[in-house]
Amino acid sequence: MSDLETGHFSIDDLENVQITIGKIVGAIEKKAKEEGVEVGPTPKPGISGLRDWDYTLLSRYQPVYTPVCDQCCYCTFGKCDLTGNKEGACGINMEAHQARETLLRVITGAAAHSGHGRHILHHLIELYGEDKPIDVGPSNLVAPNIQLVTGIKPETLGDLEEAMDYVEEQINQLLATIHAGQEGAAIDFESKVLHGGMLDHVGMEVSDLAQVSCLGMPKSDPEAPLVEIGMGCIDASKPVLLVIGHNVAGVTYIMDYIHDHDLEDKIELGGLCCTAIDMTRYQTDQGQKPQAKVVGTLAKELKMIRSGVPDVIVVDEQCVRADVLDEAKKLSIPVITTNEKIMYGLRNRSNDSAADIIEDLSSFKEPGALILNFDTLGEVAPELAIKMAKIRDEIGIKALPSDEELQELSAKCVQCGACEMDCPANLPIMEAMRAGVENDFSKFEYLHDLCIGCGRCDQACPKDIPVLNMIEQASRKLISEEKGLMRAGRGQISDPEIREEGVNLVLGTTPGIIAMVGCSNYPNGTEDLYKVADEMLKRNYIVVMSGCSAMDLGMYKNEDGETLYEKYPAKFLAGNLINVGSCVSNSHITGTAIKVAAIFAQRNVTGNYEEIADYITNRIGAVGVAWGAYSQKAIAIGSGCNRLGIPVVVGPHGSKYRRALIGKPYDEESWKVYDARDGSEMPIPASPEFLLTTAESIEELFPMLAKNCIRPSDNNMGRMIKLTHYMELSQKYLGHMPEDWYKFVRTETDLPLAKREELLKILEAEHGWEIDWKRKKILSGPTMKSDVSSQPTNVKRLCKGEC
Amino acid sequence: MVDTTKNTQIYATWGRKMAKPVNPNVAGKMIAKAKRPLLVVGSEIVDNGQLIEKVVAIAKKGIPVAATGHSITALIDKDIGAKYINVHSLGHFLGDKNWGGLDGQGPYDTVIFLGHKKYYLDQVLAGLKNFTDLKNLAIERHFMQNATLSFGNLKPEVHLEALDELIENI
Ligand code: SF4
Ligand code: SF4
Ligand code: SF4
Repeated sequence: MSDLETGHFSIDDLENVQITIGKIVGAIEKKAKEEGVEVGPTPKPGISGLRDWDYTLLSRYQPVYTPVCDQCCYCTFGKCDLTGNKEGACGINMEAHQARETLLRVITGAAAHSGHGRHILHHLIELYGEDKPIDVGPSNLVAPNIQLVTGIKPETLGDLEEAMDYVEEQINQLLATIHAGQEGAAIDFESKVLHGGMLDHVGMEVSDLAQVSCLGMPKSDPEAPLVEIGMGCIDASKPVLLVIGHNVAGVTYIMDYIHDHDLEDKIELGGLCCTAIDMTRYQTDQGQKPQAKVVGTLAKELKMIRSGVPDVIVVDEQCVRADVLDEAKKLSIPVITTNEKIMYGLRNRSNDSAADIIEDLSSFKEPGALILNFDTLGEVAPELAIKMAKIRDEIGIKALPSDEELQELSAKCVQCGACEMDCPANLPIMEAMRAGVENDFSKFEYLHDLCIGCGRCDQACPKDIPVLNMIEQASRKLISEEKGLMRAGRGQISDPEIREEGVNLVLGTTPGIIAMVGCSNYPNGTEDLYKVADEMLKRNYIVVMSGCSAMDLGMYKNEDGETLYEKYPAKFLAGNLINVGSCVSNSHITGTAIKVAAIFAQRNVTGNYEEIADYITNRIGAVGVAWGAYSQKAIAIGSGCNRLGIPVVVGPHGSKYRRALIGKPYDEESWKVYDARDGSEMPIPASPEFLLTTAESIEELFPMLAKNCIRPSDNNMGRMIKLTHYMELSQKYLGHMPEDWYKFVRTETDLPLAKREELLKILEAEHGWEIDWKRKKILSGPTMKSDVSSQPTNVKRLCKGEC
Repeated sequence: MVDTTKNTQIYATWGRKMAKPVNPNVAGKMIAKAKRPLLVVGSEIVDNGQLIEKVVAIAKKGIPVAATGHSITALIDKDIGAKYINVHSLGHFLGDKNWGGLDGQGPYDTVIFLGHKKYYLDQVLAGLKNFTDLKNLAIERHFMQNATLSFGNLKPEVHLEALDELIENI
């Protein structure tokens, strides 16, 4: 039996016994050997498998802890006061506890993604069978994250299960270390954080590969359709069915029912969060038009429900407000839960007939139902919406206060400030109330885009003033104009695209990739996303979007009335704007970086994490921006990028993740790499100078983005282009030349051509560099040699002569 | 004399060690006595001319200025030598005895904060409170629980008055 590495066998005489073996140690290596594939040193790494690599990263980028709470209440020894890095009763100190908290957050996020992945994978295997081939478009490297981490090269849905098994086992191991009396060192919690982040990308990749392969979603398609987005695009005169969540599995049955019963024109199907994105991708790979409209992000959830527009709400999982049922009940909107992760105490109606459920909900016998049978769900949701629209119309549901009421409510305000203090964004609500008394509601309207729709102000107000409803009522004109276009998620970047663009990226002539990902907890409204993407696209960066940020970007138009999705093409080329898709499509962003290393640089990917991460760290100028990051999933995604050496900037709310990874540019010892040609040490400039940090405003963000795309391997042309953007953006948004620009100059050809002479003069006068003015050459000054054929690496064993 | 110690309700974070509420005259004297103070200014000043004036007035008393976010845009032409730095990085460097400071003259002992987003600064201060022995003085409009000393929650006009009194006492 020990020869059996993988596959199935049956035991005679024992009926119905089947044992599947796919995880025996050494199985991956053996299979790979048979297929002639080279396997790297770390297929399916355990918690300590990539610890050395993590330590390399963490020695340059130190954890910075900013606790939200100085106490620990994990166990009944506590609660313990850890202020000042004190130890608690179990011996853990503040540093290690904060790192542990980060780990908990990261694996929570990873579990959400992979739990979703497991669910949809099971579901699709049930429908299509284990042997259904994975089909994601023109790629040989179909699963870069899975192959890199696990060593598995999946070809079928069944193969994805093995990757999922690995992720789940590892997450369980990581979760175990959260328990009191386990890990004691902050740095090892940090290494576990990075491990959790890496697992997250594998889990996400499984989810998206499975759904793209089976649900007719765009397959690496730059021409993925444009879809309507915004609260204003929902036609409230029709029955409105609103879907909220992240897992499209059940929703596809609703869409099929609508399609099969010719209800497309009779019903308005809108979605919030990533389910919405995936609804617009469903069955569009052969040119079918998207069936659903996207309302927007989590920030629009309460706003949309309280508008009273939806006639039925269906929720699945993740980022769904816990009070959906309570809020919906107030406005006679039945709620259907469809996933075990959210059941809201509703009765399980999975085995009941559609007619019975519709009858009970439309007669308000029950406020909602749990339906895990998707065939029933597919029928109930749309039929119920049609029925409820009429009923709710007849009752005359009134949602938001009238203008007169707005004034009366404003007058009730005693200007106590409780709402403003409790508002996560500290929005100027009192000012709006003051103006409201005078019948001027423009200040409420101003709050609409800044407000993340959390409802905390309502809870805080001692006078029970429904602040959020007032903002929404005052903004109804604005909301009705909130209509835009988003490109439906296109899926992976294909191998041929990488071949075309890889060289430009690696040499730095495409100035960088800016990946704008994440949620809607923006410090200053959604429009900032548009401003960032617009500026970077004009500068020829490749801008990649996903999830909620991809949606919010579609709501803004330029002076010609075009959204950026209409203006810019969506190939993987300089100056293109790509929407990869929903939350789980974030794996395609790291996947792209892995593909560049594999396809363009011919590096072995299979089970070879450290080498690929090292390559990405030193060569691929990519920066992630999660400007509105709110969720645990966002920090998990960020940590997965970090382990590959991709830096991430979050908005100021991201400081509440409680830990950042920031280098010290002034500590010259930590800014050195080896030259793989001979193992010699070479100094490098401090970029990226962080792996995870926050920025205060987009003005600060701009130069950070340009600077942190600089990599040790840039050639002179690439460095010149990157430096030009860094200087220009710094001058444009911060009003000055960055102080450290000269540190990135290795030779005169690194300097922007148009300013070369002027800058050489500054180098001579202010920094004491020697210049040969006849030839306009730098003779001495830079700390780095300019040698574009050098091969920067952080891993000594990858150097020639080392092992 | 403005009383800035009254309304010290906490809205953001929690812990056993909390900022001591401080009055502007005491805060001013403390700044005057500091060996190596640093005023850290955030982007909330950019659209607030009156706050910019106060920052300039404090700086003109010889306090070096770190401008975080894009606050530098409001200070660049004010001839106070303000230097840009990211506030999260600054929080990291401030705890490092080997950091030369923004001017290469060595680490700071007293850090004064003005013009920041409440929730953001509170986090940076949480790091400083727990991992350094710096004196952190928040002269913001909101009570900053994680500072060493802080004004309470103030109305904008009272805040400006308090800053005037503080400046007089430096
Ligand atoms: S886990 Fe440790 S620090 Fe936390 S409450 Fe228990 S004893 Fe205290
Ligand atoms: S609902 Fe809007 S205004 Fe109210 S607390 Fe939340 S973000 Fe602030
Ligand atoms: S909490 Fe209520 S009463 Fe107090 S300022 Fe806000 S709206 Fe007015």
